Amino acid sequence: MDRVLILEARGVTFRYPGASRDALRGVSCSVESGELVAVIGPNGSGKTSLLRVALGVQPPAAGSASILERPASSWQRRDLARLVGVVTQREDNLFPQRVAETVRLGRFPHQGVWGGERAADREAVARAMAQCDVLRLADRWLWSLSGGEYQRVRIARALAQEPRLLVLDEPTAGLDLRYEMELFELVHRLVDRQGLGALMVTHDVNLAARFAHRVLVLANGRAAAQGPPREVLTRELLATVYEWPVVISAFEGAPQVIPLRAERSSTPG
Amino acid sequence: MKWLVFLGISAAVLLAAVGLGPTPIVDLLHSPIIWNLRVPRALLGFVVGGSLGLAGASLQSLVRNPLADPFLLGLSGGASLGAVIAIAFHLPGPWALPLAAFAGALVAMGLVFRLALAGGGELDPRVLLLGGVAVGAFAGAITTAIVSLADATELRNAYLWLWGGLSAASWQAVLVLCLYAPLPVVVLLASSGSLDLLTLGEEPARYLGADVGRVKLRVYLAASLLTAAAVAAAGVIGFVGLIVPHLGRALWGVRHRALLPASFLAGGALLVAADTLARVVVAPRELPVGIVTALIGVPFFVLLLRRWTAY
Amino acid sequence: MPVRATRIVSLAPSLTELVFALGGGNRLVGRTTWCKYPPEATRVPVVGDGLSPNVEAIAARRPDLVLLYRSPLTETAARQLAGLSIPALILRHDRLADVGRTARLLGPLVGDSLAGDSIGRIFDSIAASVPPPPRARVAFVAWDDPPIILGGGSYLTEVARLAGARNLFDDLSAASATVSLETIAVRNPDWIVMVDDSGGDSVRILRAGYPALARRPEWQIVPAVRERRFLALPGTLFGRPTPATPRAVAVLRRALEAAR
Repeated sequence: MDRVLILEARGVTFRYPGASRDALRGVSCSVESGELVAVIGPNGSGKTSLLRVALGVQPPAAGSASILERPASSWQRRDLARLVGVVTQREDNLFPQRVAETVRLGRFPHQGVWGGERAADREAVARAMAQCDVLRLADRWLWSLSGGEYQRVRIARALAQEPRLLVLDEPTAGLDLRYEMELFELVHRLVDRQGLGALMVTHDVNLAARFAHRVLVLANGRAAAQGPPREVLTRELLATVYEWPVVISAFEGAPQVIPLRAERSSTPG
Repeated sequence: MKWLVFLGISAAVLLAAVGLGPTPIVDLLHSPIIWNLRVPRALLGFVVGGSLGLAGASLQSLVRNPLADPFLLGLSGGASLGAVIAIAFHLPGPWALPLAAFAGALVAMGLVFRLALAGGGELDPRVLLLGGVAVGAFAGAITTAIVSLADATELRNAYLWLWGGLSAASWQAVLVLCLYAPLPVVVLLASSGSLDLLTLGEEPARYLGADVGRVKLRVYLAASLLTAAAVAAAGVIGFVGLIVPHLGRALWGVRHRALLPASFLAGGALLVAADTLARVVVAPRELPVGIVTALIGVPFFVLLLRRWTAY
Repeated sequence: MPVRATRIVSLAPSLTELVFALGGGNRLVGRTTWCKYPPEATRVPVVGDGLSPNVEAIAARRPDLVLLYRSPLTETAARQLAGLSIPALILRHDRLADVGRTARLLGPLVGDSLAGDSIGRIFDSIAASVPPPPRARVAFVAWDDPPIILGGGSYLTEVARLAGARNLFDDLSAASATVSLETIAVRNPDWIVMVDDSGGDSVRILRAGYPALARRPEWQIVPAVRERRFLALPGTLFGRPTPATPRAVAVLRRALEAAR
């Protein structure tokens, strides 16, 4: 399948108003269709800020952010929403909702002002829920779902937008092992079989190493390294970025990071 | 199906408002009272109540607070101040009071708006709420000062107006309101989809395609204009804007495409029913309708609170 | 309670007027802003508006008698004055019968029990007199939005009855009440009667300068409003029960007879 460059941020520098230091300094990042790019780094390294700038929500002080080769800020939000589906770190449900209702919200960018529900909408919603395996949860209240189920529902909503790029900000935070694996598998499947692009901010370095095609490591607002996991995730880099001694072990061809315990300051050969 | 039942209830409430009153209807069959007093009063009550219900539903989603009431935004404070000034200065003409109340509400809206924009860029809903409370309290303090310095009859009359009433209903008033209301009503109904998204939070709404800044502005202005007109026409009638959206959600769900029109109908029916009670219960005397809506509204609210805590 | 008060503060216009009628005007050392009748009263220093009495201002006049109109706020003030050893009298002064009783009570205190008795007798004879048959049907309108009328508890209802008019809302026991506009229309008064701020001695049938409610569209349903049948009563004569009330009754009766 042809690779299309969907998202590209080049040398972006950004500082929040009133902040004392830059959140991002000269960071570049790109995502093509059919690839899963993971963004990792310590807390406060600028991961969420990168998403905001790349998606045109915040203007960069320097550098450029473009979607499909047009400046990100020039996109109408509705048009952009037909292209990019975002699962944010947090959302707040003001009033109790059911699963099907919230997934339907993903059809907003495709509907007119007086938006009625058309057959195309219903099909897109059903397909999205099937892909995320939440069809059987359709009538459940959101507050009754487990963390993992809720995240899958949110991904279904993003998929209902029929996007070409999925952006996920720490989607596995607080999820246990099973739900984490399910989620990574789901995203990988969507990238692999549907040709979606995916940009995922995650704290889980090891799963990123196993599932992502490319990894971007951020530290203090700068890009410490970028490329395939095997090349990028070295002991020196990670120990420096996370300020903690680690060893690297390979599993299924992917580097796995093992943090050392505090007493041992040196690593075995 | 539900809509049919509801339209039926609304029609029944309107008919009851026309048919019931201090004088039995059989005595009035050949009198202009039915057409010139009762019908415009029922219609005015429906439009005012509907405006308050609709504004309340929109505002609760805008400020992301289920306890929001159209009057939390300082509009009632401004309107009361305007009206009391009109009474205290004996401004002439039957339209002096409504116009002064409307002007007062607009001034309050402008002040709160400025406060909420201070952060630069978009409206901050939290500041809308807090600013509204502050402006309302300030206006309320000035109002009380003026009222306490006025003479006894004016004092009492000012408070009676503040409690709200539909006694000034006439065909002229209905016409003015019906010419004015459709624009803000349509703007709010058209924002249904965006309001659905806003309930997720501003960032998710933005990523789902809502033009969040514009939506907040449109909804705030339209809801405030509707509320200002409602207050000008009928004084401060509390609880309708607070309770009706919750009733709507309980019966119709949270989708604004259904919730907003339902809130309009429910608000209209509630106010007309309250006004009928206000006219009939102590006939020939009349209770201020704001008291009846509070007396009906509070038990309803308690029921809703119990339902809320079940979640 | 002094046998005779020499420094009196009056906190109600009707009581001020009564004190003057009893010949005690030169003993008045304090009045409210609303006490403007008789004209001599305006020379007496003001101690407040009387609604929520300013005890300090009253005490500053060093009175030996304070006259208060009965209301919850004045009862508090009376207690505070008692705490300062200032005698206070709370008087009910709503109805015609009260005037005679109050006159007899205040007469000796103010220095002229004869005047008090004579006023008392006048009011007794009014009370005992047979009122003329009611020929006019009236409604006293105090406010237009919401519609507030004076009911059976208002002293003006008594004045009207003595003058040959029936207050159509005398079935309501309150002094004033909010009613449905509809009820006013149905009861269909011959005259809408309003008390204004003017001075003077005559009841006017308005031919111009109609009150604001005449222009309100919803009030046109009341025939008396539509046909502009308004009576204006001067506030100085009709605003409250005073020794001049018998004259008020006579004036109103003459006006009603002339209007028929």
